[in-house]
Amino acid sequence: MSDGEIVVSGLTKRYKTLLAVDGLSFSVRPGRVTGFLGPNGAGKTTTLRMLLNLVTPTSGSATIGGSRYADLRDPLRTVGAVLEASSAHKGRTGINHLRVICAAAGLPKKRADEVLELVGLTPAAKRKFKGYSLGMRQRLGIAAAMLGDPRVLILDEPANGLDPEGIRWMRGLLQGLAREGRTVLVSSHLLSEMELLADDVVIIANGKLLRQGPMGEVVTSMTTTAHVRVRTPQADGLTAALSGLPGATITPRGDNTLLVTGVEAPAIGKAALAAGVELHELTPERPDLEGVFLELTAGKAGIR
Amino acid sequence: MRLVRSELLKVRTVSTWWVFGIIALVLWALATGVNWISTAVLVNPPEGTPNDDAQFNAVREAANVAANLYTSGQFFGLMIVMLIGVIVVTNEFAHQTATTTFLTTPRRTAVILAKLAAAGIVGLLFWLGTTLLNFLVAPLILGLYDVPSQLGTSALWQAILLNGLAYLIWAVIGVGFGVLIPSQLAGTITTSALYIGGFFAGAIVLNLLADKFGDWWNNLQLIVPPLASGLLVTGTDLPGSPPRWSGAAVLIAYALVAGVIGTLITRKRDIS
Ligand SMILES: Nc1ncnc2c1ncn2[C@@H]1O[C@H](COP(=O)(O)OP(=O)(O)OP(=O)(O)O)[C@@H](O)[C@H]1O
Ligand SMILES: [Mg+2]
Repeated sequence: MSDGEIVVSGLTKRYKTLLAVDGLSFSVRPGRVTGFLGPNGAGKTTTLRMLLNLVTPTSGSATIGGSRYADLRDPLRTVGAVLEASSAHKGRTGINHLRVICAAAGLPKKRADEVLELVGLTPAAKRKFKGYSLGMRQRLGIAAAMLGDPRVLILDEPANGLDPEGIRWMRGLLQGLAREGRTVLVSSHLLSEMELLADDVVIIANGKLLRQGPMGEVVTSMTTTAHVRVRTPQADGLTAALSGLPGATITPRGDNTLLVTGVEAPAIGKAALAAGVELHELTPERPDLEGVFLELTAGKAGIR
Repeated sequence: MRLVRSELLKVRTVSTWWVFGIIALVLWALATGVNWISTAVLVNPPEGTPNDDAQFNAVREAANVAANLYTSGQFFGLMIVMLIGVIVVTNEFAHQTATTTFLTTPRRTAVILAKLAAAGIVGLLFWLGTTLLNFLVAPLILGLYDVPSQLGTSALWQAILLNGLAYLIWAVIGVGFGVLIPSQLAGTITTSALYIGGFFAGAIVLNLLADKFGDWWNNLQLIVPPLASGLLVTGTDLPGSPPRWSGAAVLIAYALVAGVIGTLITRKRDIS
């Protein structure tokens, strides 16, 4: 019950004629970082806002640890959230912004100082929010989410505006939190960053689920055949040697490079050795998240 | 209770309250100046003033002259307090802090109630401030015209306390309007226009109607909120005007309606 699993089931949101989220179901396990991906306008933000009781679903339900967000007894100690449009009063200082939240949530005032330290904002604590840079605002949002030391973290594009150092810091933070057994759900467009960060992925487009599962499985599920890049000064010789292998297709890539599909790297190496062909490079090309994502969402992307 | 503390902290940690405090101070000074002049006129009416007008004579009673001075600054004070109520709510949307607020407290009714309470407390503080100023200035003005300070009269104390009630109620009405009109600019402009326009248009229209169709129409002062709050501070009940308690009842009804409608809307609204 209280393990902090997020369950979204049949969630639907209709804006006039537009189905922003359309019968979406997925679940997010504790102890792992889950990436929530989709093209612009796919319905990610809307889904997260419904999960947090900010937007009322047209139908369906979303629960965190078995209860709806509105029914949580101590929401801030259970769930920390950083949303796209979460902001602070322009004329209020960062530390006061956090103290206001502490007061409302019944948290001790010193938590405000602690989380500011955690996100590295202490030097700017007494400056007004309007003077904060994009990255500093994002850090303040993360600080606010951490106030209640929550078991579940929900972040909408948290990398937005962070510098490379900040992105790496956040990756470490989120992975660390997941390792402690917390649930971490992160939406992002930065697919290479996601590939480093997430253990699981949920991919949606047009408000509907496309794929859900562990990163590795989702990535390999799309590519049925292996790709191997081979570099050799004797391209013709290798082509001849490989033509004997069943299923092999060879595409010259120029610069002494061939792309071989249909056979695994060891078989290529063996054939090359038998034919006395010299190899300079033999690299199995991993399909990457970006390729899979673009392939999955092809024709479904686009602003609605 | 912690929600009220949080809301008060919100008010305290931005500059709005002292900006409004300074504006209120300036407007209070203006109003007191005007009331000084009217005191002079009331105590020594110019030659040829008919002395059989019952309402005029009632206003001239020492207790009522004093009540006017001890509640000086009410007209703009109430407007400022109402605007603070509006801003307490519209700030959440103008600065997109509604997300954070409702994440921290998903029970939206509790948030609105806390805002009502906080705005009411701020309203009472403004009342306390202006009343203290009036206690400094009113005896001086009264002394100039050899009117005793009237501090022993119960009518005066009633006026002062009912004035406090008016400040409280207008803060609540402000919150209600803020929820109804979440755009800060639209909210503040609409409510100020309604307040000032309602006062003058209401007064003029009712005066005309009363002249044409009889004094009964003056009773309708009650349903125009800015006129109703004026009734609260007249000191003794004036002939030809509705009783003071009815002004309070009407204002409370307005505050309740604004607050309840506002709360119902907020409970339904999508925050995005
Ligand atoms: N309040 C609203 N009123 C009308 N339409 C809305 C509203 N909020 C979102 N939408 C629409 O719902 C769809 C999904 O929007 P959403 O913000 O959830 O997408 P997203 O996946 O977060 O996109 P992005 O990657 O650009 O942040 C969009 O087509 C958007 O125009
Ligand atoms: Mg979004």
